[in-house]
Amino acid sequence: MRKTISTILSAAALALPVANGVAAADASAATRAAAKKKVVTSKFVGPAIQADRWGTVQVTIVVRKTTTTTGTKKKVTRRITGVTSTYPDHTDRSVYINQQALPILYQETLQAQSATIDLVSGATDLSQAFVQSLQGAIVKARRA
Amino acid sequence: MSTVARGLLRVEHIMGMPIVVDVRDEDVDDETVERAFDWLRLVDETFSTYKADSEISRLNRGELAVDDAHADVREVLARCEELRLETRGYFDVRAAAPESLDPSGLVKGWSVDRAAAILDRGGIRNYAINAGGDVRLRGRAVPDEEWRVGVQHPHRRDRVAAVIAANDLAIATSGAYARGDHLLDPHTRRPPTGLLSVTIVGRDLASADAYATAAFAMGGVAGPRWAARLPGYESMSILADETVLTTPGFRVLLAGDSYDRPTQHERPS
Repeated sequence: MRKTISTILSAAALALPVANGVAAADASAATRAAAKKKVVTSKFVGPAIQADRWGTVQVTIVVRKTTTTTGTKKKVTRRITGVTSTYPDHTDRSVYINQQALPILYQETLQAQSATIDLVSGATDLSQAFVQSLQGAIVKARRA
Repeated sequence: MSTVARGLLRVEHIMGMPIVVDVRDEDVDDETVERAFDWLRLVDETFSTYKADSEISRLNRGELAVDDAHADVREVLARCEELRLETRGYFDVRAAAPESLDPSGLVKGWSVDRAAAILDRGGIRNYAINAGGDVRLRGRAVPDEEWRVGVQHPHRRDRVAAVIAANDLAIATSGAYARGDHLLDPHTRRPPTGLLSVTIVGRDLASADAYATAAFAMGGVAGPRWAARLPGYESMSILADETVLTTPGFRVLLAGDSYDRPTQHERPS
């Protein structure tokens, strides 16, 4: 079983609505300044790469392509606004609360959370496969 | 003329891991980012134990004396020795094999700290560097006010165990789940027990990384206890029974939505 997630390197959830709002405001300002700005957001899927015991990893990136035309000059900028990847699913473990006393330390129970984050600490597993797939997606985005 | 673009995300595979540089400045000088990657590639050439002609490989074969090695190599080896003493031998460049040196446990963090200094000198104000799960942050994750860094959940690949929100910080995590990282307790030469992962945050990544390695090697609950007393560094440890232990200073860094659950607080005895 596979699960699509949007944790690693993902600024998409927060960045995209803001970006679209800015783009709309820019468009009206740009008309007055005789510069045309076109914003296109597209998804690019990298190749599925085998990652040893974990199964395959496949990265999808969301790219915001901004084309600014001033007279005959055209400037294109691309920005990755989101990265999602598929990983093999893992079963949850039961949660157990340890009552052992420990000085200077707060104690809680481990939880799994799915949050909007920019990057992950401690995630070296799958990394090579992740990067290969990511690079494949970036190459596709550059050609688009 | 260097190319100026808005924001930049670059990934390269160096030192056997992906290194991601995510710049959120309005205008990014590509050449500065390139210099940082040039530096990291040079570090790989110098320190890799997988490259036969690296200075470390030559040291290990007895073809090069420490005194004749590059100043950077001598600096790293000297710091490794300091750390070995600071960590009561739990951070040890000879942990894997007694007859040979492998300073890669320090080199990763140390080289990222230097790469960050290159970006700083080049005037880049908002960036994150992620070297195989060890992280260095500066400024803001524009358009957001802070960078949000997830700490890998030890059992669930698609989830995080906590979220740190910060501006200028180094974050290192050591865990048993890292493929290829066969972390051993240098005293017993066996994998440590009782801990799933240790995350250390503080000023520089070199120390944070070495402290995380040492605390993990100590096992639970000695590792978390030792880490809790490190001056200038805060920590979070996940024990084998899924108990999470955090220092008060670490909790301050947790994102607002990270820990909205009841807490037991054990006072110093």
